[in-house]
Amino acid sequence: MIGIKFADWILAAPGWIQGLPKGLQNFFFQLYQTFIYQDRWKWLLSGLKITFIVTIGALLLGVVIGLVIAIIRSAHDSRRIGKPNPLLSILNAVCKVYLTVIRGTPMMVQLLIMCYVVMQPKDEMGSILCGIVALGINSGAYVAEIARSGLMSISGGQMEAGRSLGLSYGQTMWYIIIPQAFKNILPALGNEMITLLKDTSLVSVVMLRDVTKQAQNIVANTYSAYVPYISLAVIYLVIVLILTRLLGMLERRLRESDRR
Amino acid sequence: MIVVRDLHKSFGDHEVLKGVNERIEKGEKVVIIGPSGSGKSTFLRCLNLLEEPTGGSIIFEGQNITSKETDINIVRRKMGMVFQQFNLFPHLTVKENIKLAPVKLKIMTDAEADKRAMELLSRVGLPDKADRYPIQLSGGQQQRIAIARALAMNPDVMLFDEPTSALDPEMVGEVLEIMKELADDGMTMVVVTHEMGFAREVATRVLFMDGGNVVEQNEPQAFFANPQHPRLKDFLGKVL
Repeated sequence: MIGIKFADWILAAPGWIQGLPKGLQNFFFQLYQTFIYQDRWKWLLSGLKITFIVTIGALLLGVVIGLVIAIIRSAHDSRRIGKPNPLLSILNAVCKVYLTVIRGTPMMVQLLIMCYVVMQPKDEMGSILCGIVALGINSGAYVAEIARSGLMSISGGQMEAGRSLGLSYGQTMWYIIIPQAFKNILPALGNEMITLLKDTSLVSVVMLRDVTKQAQNIVANTYSAYVPYISLAVIYLVIVLILTRLLGMLERRLRESDRR
Repeated sequence: MIVVRDLHKSFGDHEVLKGVNERIEKGEKVVIIGPSGSGKSTFLRCLNLLEEPTGGSIIFEGQNITSKETDINIVRRKMGMVFQQFNLFPHLTVKENIKLAPVKLKIMTDAEADKRAMELLSRVGLPDKADRYPIQLSGGQQQRIAIARALAMNPDVMLFDEPTSALDPEMVGEVLEIMKELADDGMTMVVVTHEMGFAREVATRVLFMDGGNVVEQNEPQAFFANPQHPRLKDFLGKVL
């Protein structure tokens, strides 16, 4: 067995632990094994780094993909009757296929296909990139529908007002429509962000040493799943709580213009 | 200044404008009245191409704006528009609403736009509202801000699409007052409205539209005192 035996550990442990009941002694031993022994907290920390990189990368990619698709789809839906636009129709059809395929297949399967069929990365950087691309493409499909609901929540008069001032379609979108839409979809977008963060735990199956993989590594060394996995859950929970808090603050700030 | 030739507009199978011919000179204040569905709003919205005409042409300051080569964004800078529903940008303060277009289109620096915005706010009587958000203002105040926003681009003509129709009755006066001042300053104006008093007092010419065409037009005195077309007689009988 790799590692340390309870009998050896307890002899070297501080006196106050030796005075504890047997069950608690064992709990502290597991904590020690999970975090302290061989500096295993550093494993988790390096795993967290990967988790964050993949989350942020996929988030950015997802938002860009989602926004582009949402603009195409809502432009297509709001086109005037009797004015066909073949390019827009083709783009819209492509977007619909993308949404159907991505939302109709499991995240895990997409990840496996992206990493073992499409990209086949050779090193860790490649694997990270592959994870970002797979998760970003997946997230984009969900962000697209969220963003589309946001764009459609803004009255047509806003676009007309912007255009009547001489702003282009793009400028009106960027300065007038998107800021308002963003505010409306922030809660849903926050939800998607949290889902994405948790979905990154799947990258452990494609050789990425994220925080979940590192917890698995610790379990493989200690033969005890209890403390590492519960700790892993607590780590995710704390990150999500912090994220929720930050989103709440942003939402309050953006609501400033709604105060009468 | 604006020449409209044989203007047609259809929505699907429904023909709203059936070959309108019109000529609007610099400094004119043209008021368009007519029953709902007569095409008056559509006509106005065609003038700055918010509605794309299905036929005919519009010449603005010597330029055919319906032609494919025309950059409509440049043309629209010279045509201010005021909407029935105000359409202020709710996420921006009053001052930011006014400054947005001149600054983003790089016509003014931020400081210049700031100065201009404050001038315009004084002109519409709301200098103390500069840092408020639209939702914090009354309908009448919002519409006055919308006028200021359109004026910020220094337009050559102002288009008004039923600017007082969404207002509570007691706020109509303040908006009409601003429009009257604008008219007195020599602005070229095209106004779609149901305010007959405004038409009588401010217009240099009144157009009556019905069924997708201009049926009758005259200077306001004769227009109201001596209507010719039976549809206009009928209409005026109902609204006056």
